[in-house]
Amino acid sequence: MATDKTTSFVGQLCFGSIEEDLILPYPKMKPAEQETFKSIRSSLEQLLKPHEKDFREWDAKGDFPATFIDELKQFGLFSLIIPEAFGGMGLSATAYSRTLQEVASYDGSVAVTIGAHSSIGMRGLVLFGTDEQKQRFLPKLATGEMIAAFCLTEPGAGSDAASIKTTAVKDGDHWVLNGNKLWITNGGIAQFYTVFAKTGPQGERGNVTAFIVTRDMPGVSTGPHEDKMGLRASNTTTVHFDNVKVPASHVLGEVGKGFKVAMKILNSGRTGLGGGSVGAMKRMIALATKQAKERVQFGKPIAEFGLVKQKLGNMMVDCYVTESAVNLVNHLIDSGHEEYAVEAAITKVYGSEAMWRTIDEALQIAGGNGYMREFPYERALRDCRINRIFEGTNDILRLFIALTAMNEVGSSLKELSQSLKGIFDNPIKGFGVISEYARRRASLATDLIKRDKAGFSKLHPALQKQQVTFEELTRDLATAVDRVLRKHGKNIIGKQFATRRLADIMIQMFVLACTMSRVSTAVQEKGAAGATKELEILEVYDQRVRRIVRANIGQIDENEDELVKSLADFAVDQERYIWDNVD
Amino acid sequence: MPLKILVTAKRVEDSESKIKVDAAGTGIVKEGLKYKINPFDEIGVEEALRLVAKHGGEVVVVSVGTKDVHEQLRHALAMGANKAVWVHHDGPIDQLGIAGCLQKVVEKEKPDLCILGKQAIDDDQGQVGQYLAEWLGWAQATFASKEESLESEAEKAKTPAIQLAADGKSITVIREVDGGLLTVSSPLPAVATTELRLNQPRYASLPGIMKAKSKPIEELTPAGLGVDVGVKLTVTKLAPPPARKAGIKVPDVATLVDKLKNEAKAL
Repeated sequence: MATDKTTSFVGQLCFGSIEEDLILPYPKMKPAEQETFKSIRSSLEQLLKPHEKDFREWDAKGDFPATFIDELKQFGLFSLIIPEAFGGMGLSATAYSRTLQEVASYDGSVAVTIGAHSSIGMRGLVLFGTDEQKQRFLPKLATGEMIAAFCLTEPGAGSDAASIKTTAVKDGDHWVLNGNKLWITNGGIAQFYTVFAKTGPQGERGNVTAFIVTRDMPGVSTGPHEDKMGLRASNTTTVHFDNVKVPASHVLGEVGKGFKVAMKILNSGRTGLGGGSVGAMKRMIALATKQAKERVQFGKPIAEFGLVKQKLGNMMVDCYVTESAVNLVNHLIDSGHEEYAVEAAITKVYGSEAMWRTIDEALQIAGGNGYMREFPYERALRDCRINRIFEGTNDILRLFIALTAMNEVGSSLKELSQSLKGIFDNPIKGFGVISEYARRRASLATDLIKRDKAGFSKLHPALQKQQVTFEELTRDLATAVDRVLRKHGKNIIGKQFATRRLADIMIQMFVLACTMSRVSTAVQEKGAAGATKELEILEVYDQRVRRIVRANIGQIDENEDELVKSLADFAVDQERYIWDNVD
Repeated sequence: MPLKILVTAKRVEDSESKIKVDAAGTGIVKEGLKYKINPFDEIGVEEALRLVAKHGGEVVVVSVGTKDVHEQLRHALAMGANKAVWVHHDGPIDQLGIAGCLQKVVEKEKPDLCILGKQAIDDDQGQVGQYLAEWLGWAQATFASKEESLESEAEKAKTPAIQLAADGKSITVIREVDGGLLTVSSPLPAVATTELRLNQPRYASLPGIMKAKSKPIEELTPAGLGVDVGVKLTVTKLAPPPARKAGIKVPDVATLVDKLKNEAKAL
């Protein structure tokens, strides 16, 4: 298959093809945008650094003062992704994500306030809005006169977004909205809400519609600011709609296409979270290395002890590989590539987990101090926990990643069986499908037939060893996907243990591919000597991915899944742990 | 009375960067360093913007160096300066060369006032403002500061510290001297250089950064200006400060007093 705008790198990996043109050469921010970004970075430092002590206080209090939100508005932080024509900065996905990274390195609550506004709150307007809607709202959203919030989640509809109960009923040239939304970031400070409501019978995806609702419409109200574990200063509330009359001109996208609107918003917003993760990790590395150098135990700085080195080294690897994947997916988005949902979800899953590990280890290096509120570690840890939950839990996203990526292989299998049936009606077409798929399978099995794109051709020779591994792993992945699909057929939907294993393989392999791209390009530019540390990072990560992939593949056929499930069922049945050493 | 003010924006290493002396021992390792506008110059830009906000006029920012100085020029433009002049020079240059270029730019732009940082935080030479005033034949009010603190209401209101006379023909500058403040007055045109406590520079807002993109940067060269930038002052050695010796712990006050008296001879 040719590389076009609808080719998914991970989807093709499942076929055993490496679409290297999608990831090589490793992208760089355009010089003009770098200049703009550097200006933003230095201004952000002036804006946020003086507030470092305040952030701790606002976390304890659980709110930002209104004056600080005003300061953010005047600074222009709500204008990042709005096109220049509407008074915004018009940042690319790459520059936007890099800016969020910078903000997140100062404070998570600020990052999520900005991110919820730009990444999801008003992204629907940018993606699907009519000219009239854009003219009307974008300039106000750019100045922060209107802050935006994304209203999808409901008490009974979290991961299962299609089960929302908020309704919109057509009444002449209006829709009448009724319902309650939960955990809405910026809920209490927003004036612009992207709201999803049922416009037809329950339970079907086709009956959801997206609406623009503004705070001034009668019947819109918000609940109190939630008392959260982390991101405490960021505003989170319920939002209520009580017979809210919404003009028909406020429909976002098409009536009945709201589910698609929601998914598209979430897909394109996910790299912002990846950027935020990288920012938090960089800050932790700076804090932890300083701590390791200054803290003396047993007569020497703890940086000299092996177990501290192990943590610091792992943090470097995690941060570098996450940054590589986030940058590459942003580049795909910026270059107009259409198929990046799986890859964006990977950056969210990998980034949020790498960030959790990194902050947790930084806290460990700080020891008792890490547990004290006086130091920034515990707040960072609390702040980052939600990243594995919101904007699609990592569990749901794992299933999404594997099932979406395998979808095409599944269709090929289906096509194969269909074409067998009709082979005599149209032998040429049937033969084409069979031969293509048969060839892929045969080549996977024997490695004797030359496959298309079975390997890299553009990597720097310094990466020869990793290239060989990656090509082997790709073949292993494709074989595993084929085997799992043949074994479970469409029942794969219910096989979450198996799906998760495949997802974990895909996640690691995509992040590894991005890292290889970056290191290869670094070696090309700086020479192997100039990129020594980057080659070391790759060496470490490559070994690790190989072990993870092999372990997961090994468990496809031999595992204790059924026993684990049976124990879970038992626990659920008992609703408690039944053993004790007291009779 | 509208004022035309010329300010400078030297590109310097960010003070938070880790500075290492290079192998030759006469420069620093530039790889991986972050750069910013010289903080003293930034204070100059801020003061100029405040003066212009109060009295009207325009602010022109100048920098001498490679194309990289565009970052610092754009920074000043994003803060609110009206236009920029880039004296394009890729090779080495010393304070005499810089002051020579600035003199020619001043003669071309004809500002009423030049505000420069009193020194740059990279090599701390502190010569350019003085050379410039001397060669222009203008008065110089160096080390401009103010009486109010950086937490005062006047500072929050962004009031300029440099006072312009009612007739617009002279300025009054408060200077910090050892143990007190010295107020001087100078006719315009004049050169002022800034002290750290003159003001707290504003940050460039994002709309400001966007506006700066379309503001003009005029390119000039030392040759075009007729300035000889041949280096006269060369760095012969650059050494980091000696590493500090580890301190010692004393068991009690008596030992401390003893050591201060007999070893450190501080008492």
